[in-house]
Amino acid sequence: MATSSSVSINGLQVLPVTYSSTSTHFIYARAHTTSKKSTNNPWPNGRTLFLVNVPPDATERDVIILLKPFGTVERIVFDSDGAEDVEAEEEDETSEDEEDEDMEGDGAEDMADENQNVAMDNSQSRKRQKTSKKKNEPPKVIPLPTKLLRKLRGTGQSAHVVFLDESSMDRCLSSLQSSSNSAKPRPWPSSSASSEIEEPSGLAHYMTLYDSLRPPLDSVREHVDSAMELYEFEVAKTKQKSKYRKGEAIVDEDGFTLVTRGGAYGQTLGGGVGVASKKFQESGEASEGRRKKRKTRKEKESFYAFQKAEKQRKELLELKKNWEMDKAKVEKLKASRKFKPY
Amino acid sequence: MANLKRKRGGIATSRKLRKLSPEEDTNEEMSVIDDGEDNGSEIEEDDDEGEEEEWDGIQQRQQADNLPPFKSLKPTGEEIRVIKDATDLYRSNSFKLQIHALLPNVRPKSMYSAPLDKFLLQLHEFLFKIPLVPPKQPLEVARALLKKGVSVPYSMPLPTEDTAWKVAFDKPSDITLVGSWANKTSVKGQDKLKYGVDLAVEMPNTLFQEKDYLNGRFFHKRAYYLATIAAAIINPKTGLKNVEVSYISRSDDPRLTKLVLEPRPDGSASDFTKLNARVFIIPVLSPDCPIPLSRLSPSHSNIRITSDADSSDDSKSKLPTPLYNTAILTAFTPKSHLLSNHNLQQSCPAFNDALSLLRIWANQRGFGEGSDSHPSVRGFNGKGPWWAALLEFLILGEEPTSSSSGKGWGKAQSRKPLGRGLSSYQLFRAALDFIAKHDFVNEPVFVKTKDGHKFLPDEYQSNHEAVFVDSSSTVNLLADVPIGSLKLLSRDAQKTLETLSNTSLAGDPFDEVFLQDHRDLQTRFDAVIHVDLATVSPLEKPIHTALDAGSAQNAILFSISSLLTRALGNRASSISILHPSPSTRPLSQANPSTLPKIQIGLSYDTEHAFRQVDHGPSAASAEADPESVEKFRRLWGDKAELRRFKDGSITESVVWEVKTVDEKSHIPVMIVRHILKHHFALGEDAVHTWQAPFDSLLRLPEQISRFYVGSGMAMGFKGALGAYDNLVKSVKALDDNELPLTLLNVHPISESLRYTSVFGPVPLTPALASALPMNARYLHPIEFILEFEKSSKWPDELKAIQKIKLAFLERIGSALMAATPGLTASVVIGEGSGEESDIQDTARLEIVTPEGWAFSARIWHDREATLLDRIISGTGSLPHVTTKSAEKKSKVYHDAVRAREVYTRRFIHSPAHHRAIAKLCHHFPAFAGTVRIVKRWFASHWLLHGHISEEAIELLCAAFFVEEGWEEEVDSGESEGGENKRLRRDIPGSRERGFANVIRFLKDWKWEEGLQVPLYSPSPSLTEQDKGLSSKKAEPTTAVPGVWRIFTLRDPKGTAWTSRGPDVIVARRISALAQATWKCVRNMEESGKVNVQTMFSHPTSDYNVLVRLDSSVLSRYHHNVSPDVSLLDRRAASSKKYANEQGGVVIRPGFDPARLLFRDLQFVYTDTFRIFHDSFGSDHFGIVWDPALREPRPFKVMSRFSSLPCVVQKGTDKEKSQAKTGKGQSQKEKDLVVLNEGGVLGEVERLGKGIIKTITVHA
Repeated sequence: MATSSSVSINGLQVLPVTYSSTSTHFIYARAHTTSKKSTNNPWPNGRTLFLVNVPPDATERDVIILLKPFGTVERIVFDSDGAEDVEAEEEDETSEDEEDEDMEGDGAEDMADENQNVAMDNSQSRKRQKTSKKKNEPPKVIPLPTKLLRKLRGTGQSAHVVFLDESSMDRCLSSLQSSSNSAKPRPWPSSSASSEIEEPSGLAHYMTLYDSLRPPLDSVREHVDSAMELYEFEVAKTKQKSKYRKGEAIVDEDGFTLVTRGGAYGQTLGGGVGVASKKFQESGEASEGRRKKRKTRKEKESFYAFQKAEKQRKELLELKKNWEMDKAKVEKLKASRKFKPY
Repeated sequence: MANLKRKRGGIATSRKLRKLSPEEDTNEEMSVIDDGEDNGSEIEEDDDEGEEEEWDGIQQRQQADNLPPFKSLKPTGEEIRVIKDATDLYRSNSFKLQIHALLPNVRPKSMYSAPLDKFLLQLHEFLFKIPLVPPKQPLEVARALLKKGVSVPYSMPLPTEDTAWKVAFDKPSDITLVGSWANKTSVKGQDKLKYGVDLAVEMPNTLFQEKDYLNGRFFHKRAYYLATIAAAIINPKTGLKNVEVSYISRSDDPRLTKLVLEPRPDGSASDFTKLNARVFIIPVLSPDCPIPLSRLSPSHSNIRITSDADSSDDSKSKLPTPLYNTAILTAFTPKSHLLSNHNLQQSCPAFNDALSLLRIWANQRGFGEGSDSHPSVRGFNGKGPWWAALLEFLILGEEPTSSSSGKGWGKAQSRKPLGRGLSSYQLFRAALDFIAKHDFVNEPVFVKTKDGHKFLPDEYQSNHEAVFVDSSSTVNLLADVPIGSLKLLSRDAQKTLETLSNTSLAGDPFDEVFLQDHRDLQTRFDAVIHVDLATVSPLEKPIHTALDAGSAQNAILFSISSLLTRALGNRASSISILHPSPSTRPLSQANPSTLPKIQIGLSYDTEHAFRQVDHGPSAASAEADPESVEKFRRLWGDKAELRRFKDGSITESVVWEVKTVDEKSHIPVMIVRHILKHHFALGEDAVHTWQAPFDSLLRLPEQISRFYVGSGMAMGFKGALGAYDNLVKSVKALDDNELPLTLLNVHPISESLRYTSVFGPVPLTPALASALPMNARYLHPIEFILEFEKSSKWPDELKAIQKIKLAFLERIGSALMAATPGLTASVVIGEGSGEESDIQDTARLEIVTPEGWAFSARIWHDREATLLDRIISGTGSLPHVTTKSAEKKSKVYHDAVRAREVYTRRFIHSPAHHRAIAKLCHHFPAFAGTVRIVKRWFASHWLLHGHISEEAIELLCAAFFVEEGWEEEVDSGESEGGENKRLRRDIPGSRERGFANVIRFLKDWKWEEGLQVPLYSPSPSLTEQDKGLSSKKAEPTTAVPGVWRIFTLRDPKGTAWTSRGPDVIVARRISALAQATWKCVRNMEESGKVNVQTMFSHPTSDYNVLVRLDSSVLSRYHHNVSPDVSLLDRRAASSKKYANEQGGVVIRPGFDPARLLFRDLQFVYTDTFRIFHDSFGSDHFGIVWDPALREPRPFKVMSRFSSLPCVVQKGTDKEKSQAKTGKGQSQKEKDLVVLNEGGVLGEVERLGKGIIKTITVHA
């Protein structure tokens, strides 16, 4: 069925991949382009390939092997792993990206190994590592031992592939365009099962996963200790940087004092002024006691005869209304033949 | 009179109103006229027939001219009166309206009654013309009639050739229309039963002599009279052409045989086919007939036939014959009942409606006529007069019994009559109230009579089980009703009263009371026992009781009922025998055919039902009272034995041997089986229940369980609880330098520790594991939560908290390993699913004790909640400094929401839920079993875990056990000895009934409305705010896939356990499955054949794709509902896939590859398909594609499914290049994609390599 399909769809080239003799998967590919001139664009124009519908269990190695005939791949990023918003990606695909933080930029060199980590602690700690880079010698986190594992992502995901040079990508795109090539689906690497260092799948995957989730106790200890050291380090650092310090009034550049809860005895930081209660902040209402009093003083309800009459009249009307409503309800039920007990 | 009063009341109100608003006058007058008519139809007087058409008309007209113009206007006085009446005299406005909408539907349609009147006239004329037959020998005439195809229904004792008296026929002295038809109180029966038109044909006095009360002579004469009429009607020359004639006997008693005339449709003027009625001809006696009433009192003995064996024993032949006497007396009553009812109708306008309501209520509960599919409760066949007499009793009051005080049960004062102006609803309620509260066993009832008692009141009491004497003071209307049936009636009345008075109930009680069919046995009784009567042969054949009861069968049923009552004692609160009502039989068949089978329904008193020993008289008293010992031994047969007990007493006793807890719940049924076998020779194959098959559902296959049993380890819930306590002890024993903080609390949250896991928890040691096959080595970790003291040492950041937890767990683990040799502990850093984030609580400690129990501990830190809330609400640590909320919900936000949800569920709801459910299990013995079966049911239909959480099911089941304030009740019941505990509504006493209840509920649960479960009582721990939240329920919660809402006080939103499912599709599926299962239950009930397996086998044909798993790698295959036992063999299951472990046995607690694969597939393909799986070792996945994806749709980059370009006509290259730029409108249509099913399945196959065997795609 793949043979008859069109080569391109919505501007994306179709890259058929065979899993087995019976099933074919379709990856859609396109050159990645950015219109905005942003300084920290992680995807170099001209040699980045944008892939859609990557198989859910694809690893970088799988993709690298798949694209090997065209050239060497520098790096691959699966979009669902990135911090960038998926939704945003879809909306302004062409102009995406300035929001993309520096993280991708400097995490790039070891991106490959990040994806193999099931425990995300590593990447997180790296993140921390990065933020604290400017400071001198932050403590290093000793990672938990990891095993070669596949990471499953949602189906229909997209990925960015950066080739080493522009020519490889041109080769890739042009080969996809010529219909003769696309008619012949490439085999998906893992189904060929050639190498031994491959990430396990299926039953073996689950057994490895199970075991890797239960690391030896001493490595857990090492890992935690180092992670906590880092945390302490960061806390100390933010403390130094933070303007908001306990017990000190916060004064901005213009000399105004920010009234903030946190001081002792319901007073502001640094003391001196009382602070509104939490309840007031949330609801905008002060305690009820006083208000109620004021309200009840306002008006007497059955003082004049007309008020009484009015009240009675209202009650009767209400009664009638309810009666009619009930009647209508029963009519409706009756219409649905509900009252035939058997 | 009542009417007058009401009128006056109405005027009074309107006068008042006039004062208020004089300008209303003209308007009011007009509508008074209008409402006068309205009234006539609503407060139905005597002419209620033909109401439907007329009534509808008025209703419509009213609607037409009332609704639009009147809406804004003030109500008139008359209207106010009607409205006030409705609210004061009925339960509510709508209740009244509903009653009036209901009644026309159960009454005969008057427009069809003209042909019947014509027919009755014709019949009247005909009966008077039947030729006279001179007195003859009974057998001789019977032979003559038999030639005409009519056999005479002589009853026992049969006349013989040498009887001296003669039978004859003379034209009736009177013919009257009697019963409900004559009084126009007929109520439609269920299952298309026809209305009965009773025609009392008075036999002339000349036919009878004074001695006819003896030895059934009256019945023989009556039988001949009836047979002659029958023969005359079917006479081809002179008879009636357009009716079919047959016999029917009330209560299958041949003495109460009557003729049934059913119309043969021929279109003639007297063809009343359309009326759906049949005419009964009942021969009656005139009040002044020669048979003396005095000889018919309950204590008289009127059957003097003595067999040879009995002849010596003079006292035996003088035994009273109360049932026989009652049967004769019923020949006197029809007319007097007619008159008394008519008088009531005149004096009490609501009598008719109340009687109809009462009978609808009773019919819906099986106290009416039954059929094969819906057997009725024994004793209530043809009890029309009783229902009327019941109301009569309430309205007229009680006849004082002067002598009663002598017996000690006399009441201080007799019952006060009710007012006659009550509404139908009030009368109905009064009747229920009487039924619910009356002690039928000890308190006889005598309806107020005109001229005092005819017989001594005490005579009834000593000869009948229950006494309710009618207003003519002759007949005990409850003479043949077993006491068990009355207890059931009383229980049902109690239940209905509770429903009616329960105002907090969400639904309208009207449905529950009148419209729903409550005849299903499985939901009513804790045990339903089908008894095949074909081979019955009673141990004792007392000829006398058979003669008194009318037939051998009736005598057997009487003795079954009384023996079971004695044998079960206080174990059962009611024992009911159910069977179909008698059906018509051809004229050639003299005696009613015997019942092939009956059902026995038991309701347990759970406090006593499962005791293992029954004590009889003690050995010491045996000498003084040898008869009681003899009686005990006769009852129990060889089961009775003399035993010495721990307290030193030596008594006659019966001990029921049970091996497991499951079996203990079978004791009542075991007793019934024993009695039936001992006394009636009904063996195993004649008695069916559905208790035992359920056991196997909750048990491991024998092949596996024998290893566990052989190992001699402590197992089951007791074992698990013991192991848990030990572990907690050893954790608490770790001293301060091992743990950085003091352990405050340990909360169990595992179903294994609250008796509700489907399988009893088991330990697994390496030694045992090596003996088991690969696919039966599953060890379930038991979860609990550690709560440490509050401390400021905790870091104030989520990620760091999770790290610290790891450190804590590591510390505990190492310390435990050091303290207990043989114990292994490992820190689990997560579950490896794609949904976990680093701010979520993931870490846990997995502990395997030396005894082979696996536990899993988590740490609860309450600061997490605050920190997560801050992220979600967008406020930092300074709540008033709100960050800009305009920015998009980031990944962090979504992670926090998910983590918060996990936190709330795991640490807030779980422990409370566990405590409540564990408490329920302690107090309601059937609860745990119910939950386990229901869980098994959900699992076997591939829904548990994947779509429905265990806790949701526990709550669902709890709804049938708890009610407002159950906790206080249970607590107080414990301290006060639990006396009044059982007075509350009936709670399932067996898991089978619980299961049936749940299924029936699921079958038509409108889950949009939610379910309120009063599991938690309002306590100080719940703040005012919480309570406020719980009252405004069912508010639409956003963005939760689950549609079920189960509200508790702790969870006012109702989504704590159902937020993740079932979604709409699954919820509908559940309804459909429940319906199918219910049908199965009903089938079982009708056929009596028990096949539980079918209810638990899942239909797989409607899945798009069926994935077959390799059962040899499934670690839980032994949990499968119907495992292939050969695959559980050790050699057969030794899989090569685990080859690397052949050497040493590695136990992986909780490792289930199928479950992991299922979880991953569900995560990866959320939007592509829905996947179903039975987590209990099923070797199948079922997949249903999202139907929307199978339609071609435009290509999008982020479409979240694996697509395949649609096949289009080959365009030119030019078009293709245009397509590349991709902006043209025409291209849009071409760039369609469709779900790549083959590709997805290829991926599934690859993901499940080694687990998946085959994938089958259904066309």
